[in-house]
Amino acid sequence: MVHALRRAGQRLRSGGSLISIRPHRTWLPVVSIITPSRRVPVARLDTPGFDTRQSAAEAALARVVREGGFTLAGIRNQRYRARLDNPSQLRTYLELIAPPRPRFPPGRRARLLELWASRPRGSYIEIAEGIVVTALRRR
Amino acid sequence: MELRLIERFTTLRGRRILEVGCGDGRLTFQYAPAAGEVLAFDPDRPSIEDALDEQAALGLPNVAFRLGSIEHLPARGVPFDVALFSWSL
Repeated sequence: MVHALRRAGQRLRSGGSLISIRPHRTWLPVVSIITPSRRVPVARLDTPGFDTRQSAAEAALARVVREGGFTLAGIRNQRYRARLDNPSQLRTYLELIAPPRPRFPPGRRARLLELWASRPRGSYIEIAEGIVVTALRRR
Repeated sequence: MELRLIERFTTLRGRRILEVGCGDGRLTFQYAPAAGEVLAFDPDRPSIEDALDEQAALGLPNVAFRLGSIEHLPARGVPFDVALFSWSL
């Protein structure tokens, strides 16, 4: 990771921005079914290897700042909700995430499908997640 | 939503942008119409092929998708204004 950040720094103009977008460390993805009358939480997704990867990313960003090539311009945490129309969109959504991808705990995907099969009209699936954006400025 | 957050720190409009870990271009295609030039990398061949298909459909000549990692990028060359690591650190 440090090598990638350094190489990006070599190719950025002075004053240019390096932006890192990554999953939030503790706001893990929660899948719910939203019916017209209530929110039904189904699963908090497992994120194997997640802590190690996030720690490494944060350490790499801190290191290139310490080395003097960048200054920290800011960090912003944001929660967001994605609306999906059906379970097959959920598969696509999860496949877009760089590995290691979040996974359903045992039995929870089946539970989602079971609840989805008996959903009231007008229901949809929601994934609530958090992301963190770190901005560095090239010296 | 990601673009709104990015724009809190820098504009992408008219900028020369290096995107690392572009995947199938989901984020790239959101900002590319307003960007100057974009060079987007990803090590996953199927994702880059999907991105190229979508680029052809959208007709965005200012984007170059490349298979590989940023370590393959020459250390010298025309400088970029913004480097985006989109879900790739």
